[in-house]
Order: sequence, then C-alpha cells, then structure tokens
Amino acid sequence: MQPAIFERVVVKNSPVYQYMKVSLVLEHVQTKLTAVELKHLITTGLKSLYGEVGAAFPFDLLTFEEDTLTAVLRVYSRGLVRLWSSLTLLGFFQQQRCAFRVLQVSPYLLSLTGNSRDLTLD
Amino acid sequence: MFSHLEKTPRTLLVCERSHLDHEDARLGRHVEQHSFNHQLSLLVPGCDRLPAELDAALKGMRSFLLVRDLPLARLLEEDFIDQAVHKGSTYGLSYRTRIDEDNCYALLPNGKLVLSVDKDTYEVLGLEGKPSQYQRRPAGRYVVSVDLKDKTMSPGGRGHQRVLKALTEHTPLSCDLLLSQHLPGGEGPALQSLLSNHKLSEHRPRVSSRVMTSLPCPTLATSDLQGERRSCDPQSFLEWLGAVDAGVSFEEDRSGGYLSTYQCPQPQTLVDAAVRCGVSGLLLPEDIYSLVDVLRRSVLEPKLAPWLALTVHGFQDSPVSWGTAEHGFLSGGENFYTLVLFQNLDYWICMATGSHDACPP
Repeated sequence: MQPAIFERVVVKNSPVYQYMKVSLVLEHVQTKLTAVELKHLITTGLKSLYGEVGAAFPFDLLTFEEDTLTAVLRVYSRGLVRLWSSLTLLGFFQQQRCAFRVLQVSPYLLSLTGNSRDLTLD
Repeated sequence: MFSHLEKTPRTLLVCERSHLDHEDARLGRHVEQHSFNHQLSLLVPGCDRLPAELDAALKGMRSFLLVRDLPLARLLEEDFIDQAVHKGSTYGLSYRTRIDEDNCYALLPNGKLVLSVDKDTYEVLGLEGKPSQYQRRPAGRYVVSVDLKDKTMSPGGRGHQRVLKALTEHTPLSCDLLLSQHLPGGEGPALQSLLSNHKLSEHRPRVSSRVMTSLPCPTLATSDLQGERRSCDPQSFLEWLGAVDAGVSFEEDRSGGYLSTYQCPQPQTLVDAAVRCGVSGLLLPEDIYSLVDVLRRSVLEPKLAPWLALTVHGFQDSPVSWGTAEHGFLSGGENFYTLVLFQNLDYWICMATGSHDACPP
C-alpha cells in the first residue's frame, strides 16, 4: 500500500463557468411559460443588445421552476457580463412588461444551493 | 471585440489531500477555523438509506438561539464574559444583516468580538479599527476587533470601560443575534439563563433528505487530486455536486440539447441509489468534526460507499471566513468547503472563496 502523502493545490481564477440564479417577474402574474420559451426570451435579449456576433456564446438553462419562474443559468465566465447586462435590460415578453431579478451569481454551482440569505426563522 | 467585458472577479480554490490519520493532516484545523456554518450537505452514493447512527447524528445537531434586539453592550457584562466567553466556545452572528449594506457583528469562539460597520457608525463609535480590505478608496467600511479575553477587557479595566462607553453612550448598537455554545463536559449555565430577560427563541437545525436513483457519479481516484489521469478535476466535481444539490436532471434533454448541454463529468459510473441529506441553521465546527468521526465509523469502515461528500457552507454575510480573515460580499459571499472521504480513509478537502476573501488556510 502506498504511504499517504500530504498534497496541496491552490487554483486561482479557475472557474470556466459562472452560475446565475434568476427569476422572471411578469406584468400579468398568471402568465405561464415553458423552459424553452424562457431560453428563447433570454437569447432574443442577448441578440438585441449585442447583435448576432456578440450573442454568439452558449449558456445553459440548468433548472427551471414553472411556479416561481426561477431558473439557474450556466454561462462561460467570458460571457457573464454580457448575459447579466442583457437580463437587466430585457423589458418585454410577448407585449407585456417583464423584469429579470438576478438573485445570486457565483462561480460555484454549489454556492447557489447554500445561500444563508434565505435563512428564515420564525 | 468584447475583451473588456470578459473579466470576472477573482476566485480561489484550495484543494488538499491526505489521510485521516496522517500526522500532517490539517482537516481538524480547517474545520475548527471555519466558525460560522450555515448549511451542510451530505451525499452518500451507493446507499438508499443512511445508517441509524449517522441519521441520529444529523438529527441530533445542537440547537441554537435567536435573541432579538440584543444590545451589544450586554456581551461586555461581567456575567456574560465569565460564563459564555471564558468557559467553552460561544459563537454569535448577527441575523439578517448584509455585509455589503448593513453593520454586521460576530462573536468568535476565541473571545473576539468583530464589528464590521459603515463609515458613519465607525466615526461615531470612536473605537480603533481598520478600513475594510475590500472597500479602501474611498473607505466605506471599517472592521473593529475587540478581544474580550484580553486582560484590559476585564470588567472595570480601561479597555473595557472605553468599549462599554462606546456601545452605550456614543452609539448604542443592537441586533438580532444567532448564538450557540460548545461547553466541554457540559458544565456551566446555558445561554438561555444568561439572556433570559431578552426576547429569545430556540431553534433546531432543519434536516431534509432525499434518495436519488440511477445517478451518474464521477469516478474519483484518491491519488489524482487534480484530475489528470483517472479522476475528474475538482472544479468539475464541485459543479456536479452543485448540480445534484440543485436538482439538475441528468436525463437526456428532450429539447435535443437546446436547453442545456450539461453532463456528468467523465469518467463516470452509474449508481443505483444515492442519499442526499441537508442540515441548515447555525452549525458549530465541533458538531461537524464529530460528524466526520460518525461518517468514518458508520459508512467508511463498513464500506457502505466508495466515497462520500460533505459540503459545509459558511454564512455569506459573516464578517470573517476562516479564522479572523476578513470576509466580504461582491456578487456573492461564497465561503464553503467540500470534504470527500474515501473508503481507505484518504480525504480531499476543497475550500472555495469568492473575490472579497483571503486565501483559505
């Protein structure tokens, strides 16, 4: 059996991806939309702000809750600022006003599931 | 073309590997120094239920107190210093305060009271502090650290009088405070009796669990920490753990890859069942370290699983992360560590911090 050793590695500025937890607020709260419609909405917003070339980077819709219209997005680190800014400036969905609330942004997906700001004690 | 928009804040990930019984293993020190833990998440692949001892340990984590509108000057009174600061380890953290917007306060187990305050509060308070490392020009936040165990802070001492005057006359600071205490041997009065004339409530950590079936798991090799040969790299592994916690589906995407291209990192194996258990509240390092012993006895030594992963999240709004290192919040306040324990008692620990944090120890 190999003797156990001690090894330490420090990795700086490594994350390839950034993760965003966002929720969509619509003017008519009873409006429902699917995950595909949400992704299409975000892609449209990216293209309208940055054009076809500027919006030519992939992002993933990892989770989507239809009840709360909350989603977790994954984007390459180099595309974070463009995606975040296009979410900020997105104002309409099918002729009704809408707004994206960016709830949390992190280079670690794990961090999105352990947010102490959600701690509520009666 | 967009190079100026492609920068992201600095992040740090420190990974260590060793053996639980190795003389250079620093696992205990890392767990001990991470004082304010909000949530732990345990994943055991290859099991469809947790052993009874482990289940009892998770459900039996000690309760904590929430004290409403507690004046900070109360922490300087003689009975509190004698019975809560000098005896055992007392942990206190302001509740529902945001480190990037509000004044935040923390009582560390080594007796240090840390006040992270805005500029106006600092100027009125009149105590000596340092500008925050993360808001220097202009200085918008200051950190004041008071060592309650120092001899000048004994009741009646010069330092004690100065701090007490600042907290009662200059600007009476108060907050809702989360409190918990570890007393070796179970001696001494409970915090409830010390603070009985304040509005307080006791809370138990919330426990949740679920069982997953047909879960693709990355293959891990204990000697390949950096994922160069037989294992996946730490960043991909942490991403996979986050995906499991967040409930990301690993089934084939019906939209043909339009929604998401995420997949379990390679190399991978498919496990029939896995248990994921979460505990949230104010969790003490002593309880977490005891949990590691229980995991060793109940899961690893009986060889119930090839490995297990324990992730411990720190409070995003804590003034400190590891030890007394200042912690801040930019676009996120992540400070967590993931402990991977293997059947042969080797372990990996991956400590992650955000941009407004020092390097983990």
